[in-house]
Amino acid sequence: MKEPSAPNTLIHVIAERCSGCRRCEIACSMVHCGIPTPQRSRIRILPLPRRTGFIPVLCQACEDAPCLKTCPMNARLRTAEGAVVTDEESCIGCRACLYICPYGAPTVSPDDGKTLTCDRCAGEPGGPWCVAACRDCGALEAVRPEELFVRGSRAAARTLRHVWSPPRSRRCAS
Amino acid sequence: MRILIIGNGIAGGEVAFGLRRAGSADEITILSAEEVPEYDPCSLPYFLGRDVPRPRVFRRRFEDYSSAGIRLETGDAAVAIDPQARRVHTSSGREYAFDRLVLAHGGSLFVPPIPGIDKPGVHRCKQLPEADRLDRHRGSAAVVIGSGAIGIEAAEALKKRGYAVTVIEVMDWILPALFDPETAGRLKRRLERCGIAALTGERVLRIEGTQAVAAVVTDRRTIACDTVVLATGIVPGVALARTAGIEVGRGIRVNERLETRVSGIFACGDCVETVDACTGEDAMFQLKHNAIEQARIVVRNLRGEPAAYPGAWAFARAHFFDTHAVSFGKTTRATQCELGQLEIIEREAGEDYLRVILKEGIIVGGQAIGRFADAAGLLIGAMWRRESIPLLRARRELLGGPPTATPWTTRKLGELLGLTG
Repeated sequence: MKEPSAPNTLIHVIAERCSGCRRCEIACSMVHCGIPTPQRSRIRILPLPRRTGFIPVLCQACEDAPCLKTCPMNARLRTAEGAVVTDEESCIGCRACLYICPYGAPTVSPDDGKTLTCDRCAGEPGGPWCVAACRDCGALEAVRPEELFVRGSRAAARTLRHVWSPPRSRRCAS
Repeated sequence: MRILIIGNGIAGGEVAFGLRRAGSADEITILSAEEVPEYDPCSLPYFLGRDVPRPRVFRRRFEDYSSAGIRLETGDAAVAIDPQARRVHTSSGREYAFDRLVLAHGGSLFVPPIPGIDKPGVHRCKQLPEADRLDRHRGSAAVVIGSGAIGIEAAEALKKRGYAVTVIEVMDWILPALFDPETAGRLKRRLERCGIAALTGERVLRIEGTQAVAAVVTDRRTIACDTVVLATGIVPGVALARTAGIEVGRGIRVNERLETRVSGIFACGDCVETVDACTGEDAMFQLKHNAIEQARIVVRNLRGEPAAYPGAWAFARAHFFDTHAVSFGKTTRATQCELGQLEIIEREAGEDYLRVILKEGIIVGGQAIGRFADAAGLLIGAMWRRESIPLLRARRELLGGPPTATPWTTRKLGELLGLTG
């Protein structure tokens, strides 16, 4: 069994910025399959009801990932970089990892029914392709794990300031 | 400290290797009744169906044990425990002393008292040697007794190998522990479309044949066959503990630290009686993920960290040919003798089907076939969070409104349950 080590790159999702253009899906399938086929993408853009927004869904590589424990073939593996991937040699396409996933993240391959998940483009010198493809919107960012919480807190603070900014008159009263 | 583990299955292996991962320098010994390194019983039907080669069923190799400094004693079953003298006696007559003992010997197949059940040609599919025997067997017509997950998977494997397959279930619907009749009926039709006959509400009376199996006689018909597979369920192995004076119920009784009533003796895996993590009720979910989680709790307690086990959870998939289904939490039958207002939400789209069981407005279980199953994780999350579905319904305008108010998982949940209209 492989031991998890410190992850080097995480993909930080800022869903509010997603325009639903799905360039990330094309980039992902390009780098992994060599042809632009969004059905084979490991990141998926989920439209919210009535298209009020879009959520980029990809494997979060949970610390205590339930898919690692429920796969009947032990085909879900933690890589040295901390990602959780499917070993295609062992996968039988039963979808247990998809069904137990809190996000429904794994993609079922249209070719063989096996599951595909984000490996954060391990070995690609330019980093994850989806992040590069999302440059215009900036909904995806490659971050170091220690940066993630800082960015998350700042983003939350920005949102709260927007939602809860007190009326001008009261702000002056203090 | 000498730590002795009885059983080299998922739970036993996870305890031994988990201890080493946690930095333990203890003397660790695993006693195994089998001759092989740890394998995954869940994988066996797929080896049988030739979806994967045999080596893929193994979770570890012999070298893994030696390199981790874990002593593995194979082919020697524990037959008696002396809790006072802190010793375990084995079938070969050897004795093992321990400071801490972990019972992880799992369960065994329930063998129904059917005349002819020991005839050649009657197979099992729980352990690797049994699957090997069935793999070597040459037959053309098989009857699978029992339609649980293992029964259905074995039926699929045999069908792929060219057998004519009939599944017999004594209950009125297939997969009775996992699915409600409405869901199971749909699965049964799909099973039959794949060429596997499923007979429900039928009792096997005897297995006939002068030397080997020739036919299975039920209360309604006689089915000619040359192969019988028993998939009649797993009963927890409690005899070893009971004879040692360790308290047992349906399984070995443990406290929340997974320690038995005898101090220093722990138990985990299929042999243990636990509680349902969602409801707190007594439960026996003999599933792999529970064995792994229990083993990790045992490791922490063995390391001197008092860790409490939150409970087991029910989650299983049913998968044959191009049919994919999932079940989690309770079935309607399991909620039948409880107080509380039940509500069933059903959705259907073509062949896909979703069935969610609510008690007092909170999801307690669900089943899905096809596309609906892909979002099962959202339902499971809502069940764990005890999200109020009536409240969601009352606030349905927020589900489609600006994306600030409601998390996207909840919004997708609303869509999945058909609340957004």
